[in-house]
Amino acid sequence: MKESRLCSEWDRAKMLPKSNELQKKIIMVSTIGGASEDSEAQRVNVTYSDLTPQVCFKIKERRVEIPIPESSIRVTIKSSGTAFATQEFAIHQKDISFVPVTPHILSLIPDFATSTLNLKWSDNGSVFPYGLHALWQIQILRKEAMEVVTQVTYYSKLTHEDVILSWNWTSDMPLECTSHYVKIRCYINATQYVGPKDWSDWSPAEVIPGKDTEPGGSGVFPLDPVVAVGSDLTFCCVHEEDQRITNMTYGSKSYTMMKLSSRSHAIRVLNASVSNSSGTNVVCRLENGLEGSVVFVGYAPDIPQNLSCETSNFLIIKCTWKPGRPSGLYGERRTKYSLFERTSGKNVSCEVSEVNKDHVCGFPVLPDQKTYDFVLGVSNPIGQAQSSLLVDITQRVHPKTPEKLTVTGNNSTSIQLRWFINGSFAEVRLLCQIEINSSHSERKLHNVSTPGRKSSTYTAQLNALHPDTKYQFRVRCSAADHFWRWSDWSRGVEQTTSEAPPARGPDIWRERSPSGESLIVFWKPLSLSETNGKIVSHEVSCHLLETLLEHKVVFEPSNRTEIKLGKSDCVISVVARNQAGSSPPSRITSVELPSDNVTTDQAVAMGNGINISWDSYPNMTCGYVVKWCHSSGSEPCIVDWQKFPSNTTNAVIKSALFKPGVRYNFSLYGCKSMGYQLLKNVTGYMKELPPKTAPNFIVEETSSDSILVKWEDIPVDECRGFLKGYLLSFAKGEKDALKPRLSESGNPELKVNNITDLTKKSMKILDLQGKTSYQLELQAYTAGGLSPPNSLYVVTKEDSVGLIIAILIPVAVVVLLGVLASIFCYRKREWIKETFYPEIPNPENSKALQFQRNICEGNKTLKTLEMNPCTPNSVEVVETQSTAPKMEDTEMMSPAAETTVPEDGCDSEMENHVVVSYCPPIIEEEISNPPMDEPGGSSQVVYIDIQSMYQPQIKPEEEPAIDLATTAGYKPQMQLSISALKIEGHSPVEEELDKTAGYRPQTNTNAWNMGTPDSPGSVESNNENASFGVHVQLIHDSFYFPQKMMKTLLNLLIQGGPSHTFFRTKQMINSGSSLHMNLPSE
Amino acid sequence: MELRAGDSWGIFTFLCAALCNLPALPALNCSEELGAGQSIQQTYDLTRYLEHQLRTLAGTYLNYLGPPFNEPDFNPPRLARAERVPSATVDLDLWRGLTDNARLAANYRAYSRLLCYLRVLDGQVGTAELRHRLAHFCASLQGLVLSIGGVMSSLGYPLPAGPAGPPAPPGAPAAPNDFLKKMDDFWLLKELQTWLWRSAKDFNRLKKKVPPAVVTLRLEARGF
Repeated sequence: MKESRLCSEWDRAKMLPKSNELQKKIIMVSTIGGASEDSEAQRVNVTYSDLTPQVCFKIKERRVEIPIPESSIRVTIKSSGTAFATQEFAIHQKDISFVPVTPHILSLIPDFATSTLNLKWSDNGSVFPYGLHALWQIQILRKEAMEVVTQVTYYSKLTHEDVILSWNWTSDMPLECTSHYVKIRCYINATQYVGPKDWSDWSPAEVIPGKDTEPGGSGVFPLDPVVAVGSDLTFCCVHEEDQRITNMTYGSKSYTMMKLSSRSHAIRVLNASVSNSSGTNVVCRLENGLEGSVVFVGYAPDIPQNLSCETSNFLIIKCTWKPGRPSGLYGERRTKYSLFERTSGKNVSCEVSEVNKDHVCGFPVLPDQKTYDFVLGVSNPIGQAQSSLLVDITQRVHPKTPEKLTVTGNNSTSIQLRWFINGSFAEVRLLCQIEINSSHSERKLHNVSTPGRKSSTYTAQLNALHPDTKYQFRVRCSAADHFWRWSDWSRGVEQTTSEAPPARGPDIWRERSPSGESLIVFWKPLSLSETNGKIVSHEVSCHLLETLLEHKVVFEPSNRTEIKLGKSDCVISVVARNQAGSSPPSRITSVELPSDNVTTDQAVAMGNGINISWDSYPNMTCGYVVKWCHSSGSEPCIVDWQKFPSNTTNAVIKSALFKPGVRYNFSLYGCKSMGYQLLKNVTGYMKELPPKTAPNFIVEETSSDSILVKWEDIPVDECRGFLKGYLLSFAKGEKDALKPRLSESGNPELKVNNITDLTKKSMKILDLQGKTSYQLELQAYTAGGLSPPNSLYVVTKEDSVGLIIAILIPVAVVVLLGVLASIFCYRKREWIKETFYPEIPNPENSKALQFQRNICEGNKTLKTLEMNPCTPNSVEVVETQSTAPKMEDTEMMSPAAETTVPEDGCDSEMENHVVVSYCPPIIEEEISNPPMDEPGGSSQVVYIDIQSMYQPQIKPEEEPAIDLATTAGYKPQMQLSISALKIEGHSPVEEELDKTAGYRPQTNTNAWNMGTPDSPGSVESNNENASFGVHVQLIHDSFYFPQKMMKTLLNLLIQGGPSHTFFRTKQMINSGSSLHMNLPSE
Repeated sequence: MELRAGDSWGIFTFLCAALCNLPALPALNCSEELGAGQSIQQTYDLTRYLEHQLRTLAGTYLNYLGPPFNEPDFNPPRLARAERVPSATVDLDLWRGLTDNARLAANYRAYSRLLCYLRVLDGQVGTAELRHRLAHFCASLQGLVLSIGGVMSSLGYPLPAGPAGPPAPPGAPAAPNDFLKKMDDFWLLKELQTWLWRSAKDFNRLKKKVPPAVVTLRLEARGF
């Protein structure tokens, strides 16, 4: 029983004793058995225990299967061959290893497209008890050399049934590239088995042959794969045996190749990026050929975002979504969308354009289904995604734009609209919104709720419209119960309502004409909202009690009329009329009640209106009226007015017509049952501005120290504000167009008088300077500022006293000085005379010259001076003063003078006292020349230099060479060189020469006496004034000056001719010295 | 085309000269020769225009195919299966030796088939812009096929049998993989270029044989 159990349970399993032991036995058996073992059967006796009978197996193989003993068995192996041998041993249970049967690969199916291997095998589980754990080791080998690529352990649980196990493996290398092999072995964890357990043997390798083993198999693999961005890819190029591979490129890049076999090479591309729209080319260039593949690298689709479904017509449900990132795959590999509705199980595939950002897919509305459970499926070769949405379609109604909007009914205040919406809205109510636009009211929206119908026309009535108004209408609709979205606005339609009578009578006022004979009635135009049409005319009637005094029809656009009323009063009523009818009448009485104490106030606008306030008048039962004119000027004013209830005491008058700087006059009237009473006048400005023009002013009066200025008022129109005063400024200043205004000139003397007393129209400016020009400027000013200045220039009158004083004082001073000078001169007349006009003695009276006269007289009769031998006459000057003569003596007696004379060729006998010498050759020379040189008869000054007689250097022949055309003869010694040059320029001015070269005071005679005759330069430089000369002016008009005449002339000169003699020796005369002249005799 | 009296003498002279030369032109011997010169000129112009158009289209399309197809020196061996595209690589002397009729017929057949392949190509392109350009080119090429047909009929040649009229889908099976498809596209464009180049020469030669002046003169004469 036990035996059978064991056998039945384990009969298929291999119960091996410890392998080496059993093997040894078997080998031993074989060695013992020798060559004849095949023919000889062996007998194996197995004894389980002492109790059980022996079991004998007669076998020819070297293995025997025996049941596993409970603890141990005894085994006796007997060889029944020729060589008898017996082996006997015991096998214990714990020594028996458990080795599962080698698994058998049922199938190995490659999927080349995904490079996946599918391995299938049976676990043989039926032979094992339930629940054993089995481990399967699978080995993948590659290439011809069978390199182990990977080895994985697969775990399974045995279920006491034969189960086909399956395992997938994805290769990183395409299966076409090279052969792949798969082996499997197992290990069963039989827990209750006491002996050792071991892995089974490897199953025989199952092979998936690569293309490189196929004859003629070539190409680049994998072929046209689609992979996700970032994948690592391996491509291989399989070619014929006889071909050589050149290179392999992925895109434009060349990669290094790995050799897989003699016919196969691979490249590895890491982190692939998105390929272009036609895919990235992988090209394998062979020596004489080309292989290639295209790889498509892209993204798995994103989950669709913002999936939203709605219907516009209950026929089609439109779902929209945002697709997210583009997959980078195109054509067949593009991302595809399908809309699946779970409730109905209906599936719709969506044709989606690549161009649109928002993808749209339509799904038909199913009958009797309100709720839709949509699943939007997205897929592409790399991946898939989905997004779901549950919608109640009645809550997702987005009607189409209403069409055919028309106006059907129309009166002055109501209008009927019709429009059409395409779609069957039978299941929902529609809410439509009508937009009402008119030119003079704000945009209004009017909502209309209406039951939906199938492709139907809808109507709406609009009431409370304004008569005679152009309206624009447009409509949009949505679902009323569950608002989702408005449709677009329909096209607009325009309609004008018809006219109605004006809503009220016009606002009226009346005024008596200045003459009081007629009454002018004014009315204000009604506002657009009150006219209800175009106003055609106003009807004005005048009733006294019940009798109609006058009735007038005034056509537009006049807003006033005049009623000849005389002195009587009446009640005026005005009615506005348009095409549709008349307004209710407005009434006003013409009665004006007398008033007293009417004051006039001033008011300036604060903010945007002029504030007028008044005391409360309790007897004004029907309110107040403020009336004003819209122009302060002379033209007929545009009357305007405003009414206030009787409880008001102030009013802010606003008007768009008010302008700054314009004076407005307001009149406040109180309304009593009897009529209107003037209560108050107000003048006001919207804003005060500086006066427009300068005030006119004139100078009334001027005196030497004051100016009286008078001015005129500025006209009210030009004042542009309430006049506050005047500024009179003045300063000294001449009239000058370029001069700036006084106020701007910054003149420090500027004085400004501010005149605030407006009644004052003149002013006297005091403390001015006489006969001075003043600039005056007058400016008026208001609260708004200063007017432009008006300028005047005024010269003050002369101050006569001052002038008189100014004349008298210098005159008096001059007279006084004159007197003083006279007195002085008188007192000092002696001294003056001595100084300025010394008495010159008459040489004729000199006894020393008596002989000369005789000679001269004798000359007429006798022979004149004898020249040869030259015996110069000498003039001896005898000085009374002690010092001078001594000096003269030494000078005159100097030997140098004596030695020079003979050289001159003048054989004169010089005496000691000779000072002035006469030398005939000089005169000869001088006189002989002029007739030839100057036949024109020009004047010639001849100097007879007495001292030059002693100068041998100055030869007579040389003199013309010194360019002294006009000079010859005697010259003062010291001017030999200088005065000669001077004369050149001043030849006619003899008198000047006289002064310089002529007579000189002899105070310095000692000086020129000191000069040696042979050094004239020193004389010249030291004694400029020590000249001694005779000046002879010859006016020759073909005048011949004979030698003898000259001699006579000289005589005359010496005798002291009154006009030609400048030979003065003042000192000498004064001191009473005598002149000795030795005239040479011929 | 109104003629003034002053022009009639000159035109008459020209007409006479042209009529004298007419028997020398074999192409004009048929009855339909009237528009032949003009239609040859138009076909020539269309061929040149297509050549120009293809130059830009091929650049864009080869860029779309990606490297190495857009590399200037890419010259793959022509695979056996690519032979389904009519090849223009006939020996030039051999080609010249053919009659006008044979050449025109070859042109006509070739473009009809090329057009079929081009239409298939158009359907596969991934980008809308390129599809649009290909469709435009297909329309032009269709015009060329019709134009050649017109020239043939104007010269009195029968239209070749075969893929005339509406082009049938190509009988050859589609390429088994994308790379081979790209190779087909490459060869298609290359053959198209060669065909257009050769056609331009053909039509130019034909144009010289049938001078348009004669045709113009004829037209004038008709108005006369």
